[in-house]
Amino acid sequence: MLGGKAMRRVSRRSLVAHKVRLALTVISVVLGTAFVAGSFVFTDTLKHTFNGIFGDADKGVDVRVDARNASDPGVPVALADRIRSTPGVRAVQLEVSAPIVLIGKDGKRVNSGGAPSEGMLWNPPAESIKAPPTFIAGTAPVAPGQVVINEGAAKKSKLGVGDHTKVVLPTRGVVDVTVTGIYRTNTQTGGYVGVEFTKAQGLRLFTDGTHVDAVSIAAAGVSEQVLRNRVAALLPSDLRAKTGDQVRKDDRNSVSQSLSFVNTFLLAFGLIALIVGTFIIYNTFSMIIAQRVRELALLRAIGAGRRQVRSSVILEATIIGAVGGVLGVAGGVGLAIGLRSLLDATGTGLPSGPLVISARTVIVALLVGIVVTLVSALGPARRASKTAPVEAMREEFVAAQRPLRARSIVGGLVAAAGVAVAIAGAGTHSVGSGSLLIGLGLLVTGTGVLLLAPALSRYIVGGLGAVVGRPFGTVGRLARTNSVRNPRRTAATAFALTVGLMLVSGIAVLGASTKASINALVDNDVRADYILQGTGQTDVPLPAVTAAAKVPGVQSMTQLHDLHTTINGADAEGTGVDGPLSAVLKITYREGGGPLTGNAMQISRTTAANKHWNLGDHIRLATPGGASVTTTITGVYDDGQLLGPWLVSGDTYRTLTPASRYADIVALVHAAPGTSAPALRAELLRVTDPYYTVDVKNKAEFKGQQAAQVNSLLGLLYGLLGLAIIIAILGIVNTLALSVVERRREIGMLRAVGMLRGQVRRTVYVESLLIAVFGAVLGLALGLTFGALFTHRLRGQGLSVVTVPWGQAVLFLVIAAVVGVLAALWPAVRAARTRPLSAIAEA
Amino acid sequence: MTITTSIDAGIACRAINLVKVYGSGDTGVRALDGLSVEFRRGEFTAIMGPSGSGKSTLMHCLAGLDTATSGTVTVGATDLSALSDKKMTKLRRDRIGFVFQSYNLVPTLTAIENISLPLDIAGRRPNAAWLRQIVHTLGLADRLHHRPAELSGGQQQRVACARALASQPEIIFGDEPTGNLDSRSSGEVLGILRDAVDRLGQTVVIVTHDPHAASYADRVVFLADGRIVDEMRRPTADSVLDRMKSLEG
Repeated sequence: MLGGKAMRRVSRRSLVAHKVRLALTVISVVLGTAFVAGSFVFTDTLKHTFNGIFGDADKGVDVRVDARNASDPGVPVALADRIRSTPGVRAVQLEVSAPIVLIGKDGKRVNSGGAPSEGMLWNPPAESIKAPPTFIAGTAPVAPGQVVINEGAAKKSKLGVGDHTKVVLPTRGVVDVTVTGIYRTNTQTGGYVGVEFTKAQGLRLFTDGTHVDAVSIAAAGVSEQVLRNRVAALLPSDLRAKTGDQVRKDDRNSVSQSLSFVNTFLLAFGLIALIVGTFIIYNTFSMIIAQRVRELALLRAIGAGRRQVRSSVILEATIIGAVGGVLGVAGGVGLAIGLRSLLDATGTGLPSGPLVISARTVIVALLVGIVVTLVSALGPARRASKTAPVEAMREEFVAAQRPLRARSIVGGLVAAAGVAVAIAGAGTHSVGSGSLLIGLGLLVTGTGVLLLAPALSRYIVGGLGAVVGRPFGTVGRLARTNSVRNPRRTAATAFALTVGLMLVSGIAVLGASTKASINALVDNDVRADYILQGTGQTDVPLPAVTAAAKVPGVQSMTQLHDLHTTINGADAEGTGVDGPLSAVLKITYREGGGPLTGNAMQISRTTAANKHWNLGDHIRLATPGGASVTTTITGVYDDGQLLGPWLVSGDTYRTLTPASRYADIVALVHAAPGTSAPALRAELLRVTDPYYTVDVKNKAEFKGQQAAQVNSLLGLLYGLLGLAIIIAILGIVNTLALSVVERRREIGMLRAVGMLRGQVRRTVYVESLLIAVFGAVLGLALGLTFGALFTHRLRGQGLSVVTVPWGQAVLFLVIAAVVGVLAALWPAVRAARTRPLSAIAEA
Repeated sequence: MTITTSIDAGIACRAINLVKVYGSGDTGVRALDGLSVEFRRGEFTAIMGPSGSGKSTLMHCLAGLDTATSGTVTVGATDLSALSDKKMTKLRRDRIGFVFQSYNLVPTLTAIENISLPLDIAGRRPNAAWLRQIVHTLGLADRLHHRPAELSGGQQQRVACARALASQPEIIFGDEPTGNLDSRSSGEVLGILRDAVDRLGQTVVIVTHDPHAASYADRVVFLADGRIVDEMRRPTADSVLDRMKSLEG
């Protein structure tokens, strides 16, 4: 028996001796683990920074009072005065925040990206319960119309102290302001815009005059808990008091919760990258060991035990996994930095803070790297140790091809079962379990196809090769026969691309169907001539709608409002409608009908069926704050996505919504007959222009905007899946490079009998193209099928049309072919460099 | 570029003052040491010599598989030293045939595809009658659609001979063509080469260490230390063996 030390030395030397091979294997481990590490680093950093921000924002708060229900008006200002006189209270601060749009020096809105853009109250230091922000220029606002803005907003808007500008509020319209100061907070996020008004003006602008969002209290000489109990005793039942510790804990929880989606999302892509990476690592190890089978046999012949051979391979895998994992952590940090600066550049409004690399990140990435590599290496290691030494050392030894029949039969059955499960899932009525079934079906079918792939490769690659290879003559024939020479290897190489393209094309189906469904919806259900919407995430300022309604040529204006309320104690969401509905949206009444005015309420057929409500029933809508309206059902309409579960009048909406929160989600214009469209548009644009935040769109433009939103989401997903594709390309490079090494003597012989270098290169290109297209065909078949099934499953969620983007599918195939050739560039050059003498001599 | 160095149309291949040095400086090994040799058309020559005598290197240089350090090699009227890789490859493809010891055939192609491979690569249409004749003569008619793995070693080597003959080259080189074969298959392969010389006027040069194989040749050239040390006409296995013994001893 050889000593462990000797075997370790062999392992180490073998790793060093094949640097290229080693590098390629390590790279595939690195790519997979980098994504996992990167998603951890990214979300950890965000979490840490957000916690810091909230901790900072709520520093010094000992007790906070706010409404139990978010749709309530809030905390009465009068109550704040009573709290102020409670023993143990040092200071009381009114908290108000409302979305605003700041207009910059150039007269354009300041885009905060994804960060908040809010209007608040300026608290004089005496009333402030935390250290007041530092001014980098100017002074505090003292009179109405004076504001201070944060440093980031000042930079972005190019506004300085003394500048006059405007602030747009969804409810009040435009307010003229003068900047008196610029402050700095350490709680600033990327695009954040904060405008602070004097207390008097702020209360007037952002509240109903008597209520604020919350009241923060600082204690003097008593504990948080004691003060909380004292304050709580003063409160009516719809308000609550929390200790500062509780407030900060709730902040942290909500941060974790909102980031958990991001984390899961990124990890999902990391997982995809890892799965794809696993194929490559597995494939690489299989090939490396196949090439080393003679060397391993020699070791066995001179007395190395089967277990020693196996453990030497496992040791190599561990080293590669560990090295890959370490580099993966480094790559992950780089990825996180890159992702953050990318998001920063696009102004998404993420805060900046020091990178957080936790022990968990490092451990998980290392473990994942090692485990994936080990799992990939175990099969080949077992096969290597099973080979009889004498057999392997024979000159003509070629690793025997195990028959594919059993594997293919199992694969076929598994794939069929998967498809059956998915079809069952698409047919069920429950969205949740249906989607789950389709997902499960995809997983099972994918596994089946993976098992089937070697057998399929014979037919598909053979068929493709006959077509693609024909113009290349003998070169094409050699390429085709090379690519089906080892079906398992071809299948494993191609499958990495299959996984990537399956996801890409599945998402393409969803995207195309979404766009088609939106178009169909707008075409069928929207009758409005123009649609007024807030730019970005903002609502339409009400005064803008009032102005637009007066434009000549506007026959009628219909405003839709989101209404949050309760019915029989349960939360309920519906729509408040001002103006004639049927003029702008398609609505078909089953029973009743008529205008939505006063206490009228109209419900969808589904609502009627679920709630057992009938025409003429009285329904009481109420807010916990005390407002209530008893409505009468005057109509039942066919379900429509734009109509929602129930509709009430604008008056009902206003009764149930605090005045400070009045907003239009959208306003729809019905043009008078014979109105010139360009003239009407120009006039609508002109009257809404002073409000800066109104988009005027006709139906076609509206569709285009929706499509653009879908496209940008698709772009993000494609970008993330690009990683899987890159790994797949590396896999092809790897396989080809190793195949070229494996076939060195054969290529040498071909060169000796007269094959030109260009012909050798072309053979490798065509082979690679065939493998890539094979993988792409499988991926497209799976992706398009399951994308369509999944879309069909979501038919109740607005995806009424299933569209298969054939053009895109063809494009993906072409891209795969190009990718295949690109992947072959380097291996082909290596192959062409093979000297004819390689056919004869070992050198 | 082709340079005509000899008017002698009877010479198929010639080496003049051939030197091949592996490595450089003091550690350099002179595998060929100013060697000159000629091979006549329609003659079967065997190159022999002890291990390290330079016989394989000589054949590689003659066949355009390797380039000499100095000296000239001509095939027909073409000076190999002046050729680019592309022209050299085309020369091998169109004017030279090869039979190697092993790794002779493309494993994924059938026997007939292997036989026509050099013609196919060149994009030339094989002469069907000629191919039929070779295949028939070499007894491969019922083996044409088998892959190499389904053929015996002797059959594989016969396919390799057929490939070498198919393009009707000016000269066929064999590098230990019987090295991996049993004596019966060896006899068959050497018989084929002998026959090609006798009946078709083919020129054949093989490197071998087997006196029995050398006995099929018209002429045996003995190498030692990178030089030609002896030559023998009408060799027999015994006479070659005696000569080899004296060289090695």
